[in-house]
Amino acid sequence: MCRTSGVPEPAGTGGEPSTDAAFTALLEDSAEDLYESAPCGYLSTMMDGTIAKINSTLLDWLGLDRAEVVGRKRFPDLLTVGGKLYHETHFAPLLRMQGELRGIALEMRRAGGGRLPVLVSAVLKRGSEGEPLLTRITVFDASDRRAYEEELLRRRKEAERARAEADEARRQAEADRARLADALAVLQKSLVPDSLPVVPGLESAVHYHTAAPDQLGGDFYDLFPVAGDRWAFFLGDVCGKGPEAASLTSLTRYTLRAAAHHDPEPASALATLNAVLHERYTAGGDPRYCTCIFGIAEPGGPDGSVTVRIASGGHPSALVLRAGGGAEFLPTPGGLLVGVLPRAPIGSAETVLAPGDTMVLYTDGLTEARLGPGRDDLYGEDALRAFAAEQAPASPRELISALTELLRSFGDGLDDDTALLALGAPAAGGPARTSPVTKPAS
Amino acid sequence: MNALTISHRDTATGPAVRVAGDLDYDRAPELRRRIEELPLAAGQCLTLELSGLDFCDSSGITALLAARQHALAAGADVVLTGVPSNLMRVLTLVGLDRVFTLRPAAEAAS
Repeated sequence: MCRTSGVPEPAGTGGEPSTDAAFTALLEDSAEDLYESAPCGYLSTMMDGTIAKINSTLLDWLGLDRAEVVGRKRFPDLLTVGGKLYHETHFAPLLRMQGELRGIALEMRRAGGGRLPVLVSAVLKRGSEGEPLLTRITVFDASDRRAYEEELLRRRKEAERARAEADEARRQAEADRARLADALAVLQKSLVPDSLPVVPGLESAVHYHTAAPDQLGGDFYDLFPVAGDRWAFFLGDVCGKGPEAASLTSLTRYTLRAAAHHDPEPASALATLNAVLHERYTAGGDPRYCTCIFGIAEPGGPDGSVTVRIASGGHPSALVLRAGGGAEFLPTPGGLLVGVLPRAPIGSAETVLAPGDTMVLYTDGLTEARLGPGRDDLYGEDALRAFAAEQAPASPRELISALTELLRSFGDGLDDDTALLALGAPAAGGPARTSPVTKPAS
Repeated sequence: MNALTISHRDTATGPAVRVAGDLDYDRAPELRRRIEELPLAAGQCLTLELSGLDFCDSSGITALLAARQHALAAGADVVLTGVPSNLMRVLTLVGLDRVFTLRPAAEAAS
């Protein structure tokens, strides 16, 4: 539009004449040169495939001389074996049928022995009667595209392999986790019994809470018969946590069980445990210890009472609820953590549980439960005694049930393992009952 | 949560280690390592100054017992000074108040 306006162009924009010259030069480029030097290969073949004409581009790609090709070779001769086969079975028949083909992937043979991936389009040139005269074929170098496709394929195979490996690893990890969970469950059973035995004339109930479901607890308890219609029981808490605590718990539990059969005197059993733990750990510079109450219960008193003798090594005092109401601690002064000294002082106490009386042993997860943000804001022994006094009189099962509710009310404040074991003389007229273990974490 | 800080100085009677902050499951091994590296001679006294201790769980108590064991093995004594009331309550509960020699916090020492 500027040029037809008649207004002279500003200096410096008069580029049109030279651009026109460039166009002209292009237009003057001969069709022959365009054919020979086109960025794709051209060839024409007779209907029997004999090559009648081929351009320089394709000859260069294949490394062939025109003289050895034109009139001497057929198009399939330029193809690889696979390409030949495809040509005979698909390419030629389809071309004859449809008159044209587009974008067929073939491989051509280079004179040097290499292969040239190509995309081939072909069209039939027909005579005035419609009879096919010759075939015109265009060949595009598809090396880059083939490399790209191969790269895509390789990446996909890699991704599939990586996914298969990840699936396998996940399956393996799940199997490992299941096996570990099984092993943990078996080990956990070695730390605390599945259920308490039914004891004539002695009612019992327990509650066991582990702070972390996948962690073996550091608290332990047991109830089992010893000679002479007597029953041994214990409840305690080992230092530390995790597998190390569990191994200590296991040693502790079986040492106490064996010691109780050898000498069921409560203080003797704890003295044996102390000697074993001290020799095994502390003496070697790796102090480990537990707090524990061990006791012997003799049910079958003349009026249905149960005589209980306990010994304690640094463990929170047992609490006794009386049938007539009220709750009091059963102190065992002078006891020390079990396993710290070669010969440990052990505190002892004795009481008689009249029908309807209940004694409860607990670990410090209960009394050390946090009620507030402060670290010293703990539930405490005074609050526990007041709570127990409100429950009295209560059977072991009723008391454990109430204490379990109390623990639940602590919510996140209950950050330690907690074990509760209650033993009682059945109230007059009531049958001895033993409740199953409640283990919410198992 | 308070970081555990452990500082150590030598006195006429032996090394004094000041332990402040939280002594719990994660940090107790650090105290055990520091104590075990302390050279102790027979007849010396290892003093653990605990007045700055904010928290001490059973792992912390284990570390104190390990310190005691380390001192006894060297023929040395061990003394806890300035034990905070919450730790004192636990030590008394488990009978350790009769195992450790306890002293009030020393006068502000340089």
